[in-house]
Amino acid sequence: MSENVLQSDEYNFRIFSGQGDFEGFPSVLRAGQGAPDFSATLLETGQPVRLSDYWRQWDLVVEFGSFT
Amino acid sequence: MARTYADRGFLFLFVYVREAHPGEHYGAHRTMEDKLACARAFREQLAIERPILVDDLQGTAHRLYGLLPNMTYVIARGGRVLFRSDWTDPPTLELLLNYYLNTRQQRRAGARLTPFYAEFISYRVNDRQQFIERLKIAGPQAVDDYLHMVQIWAQQAPPEE
Repeated sequence: MSENVLQSDEYNFRIFSGQGDFEGFPSVLRAGQGAPDFSATLLETGQPVRLSDYWRQWDLVVEFGSFT
Repeated sequence: MARTYADRGFLFLFVYVREAHPGEHYGAHRTMEDKLACARAFREQLAIERPILVDDLQGTAHRLYGLLPNMTYVIARGGRVLFRSDWTDPPTLELLLNYYLNTRQQRRAGARLTPFYAEFISYRVNDRQQFIERLKIAGPQAVDDYLHMVQIWAQQAPPEE
């Protein structure tokens, strides 16, 4: 199994047990710093986009989440 | 809220990450197809109009921003983080956006403004019953796993003075 699949299984947990480090959140990134750029799939088109494609033109409000 | 602030220059985006409470109906993503299907269900059943950016299966974007289940970020044009919160709370966000709009107006009026760093604790309404009702969408396992953690957290909580 490739490393990516192993990491993916750990990241995509099957049982909720309070995952997520709330106490560590302040040290991940700070207001005032540059936002990390990343690539993602735009659901509407299925095409890859980068977050920087959007911040080039707009101020952004970005919510992270899932259906559950 | 997205519509209200759209014509004032704010674009609202949703980044779809791992399922926070996987269950029988919406489970942990095993493939990118799983993730896209869950994201589509989310969009259709909750009538989401914002663009949805689906993170990769390994959670690359999620890791960069803090790995929490429902964070909000405000990022200025050009890419600077203006605001970040470890939960999403519309009243808090509204407060912040109005503040930034006001700052913009002041600048346009010629005020000389300098940024400075601040932190604050915000409060959100926490309706546990409503939350459990929403978890049922994921499936009974999601409810059971959450209630199990509620018991564990109650045992871990420091005694009240």
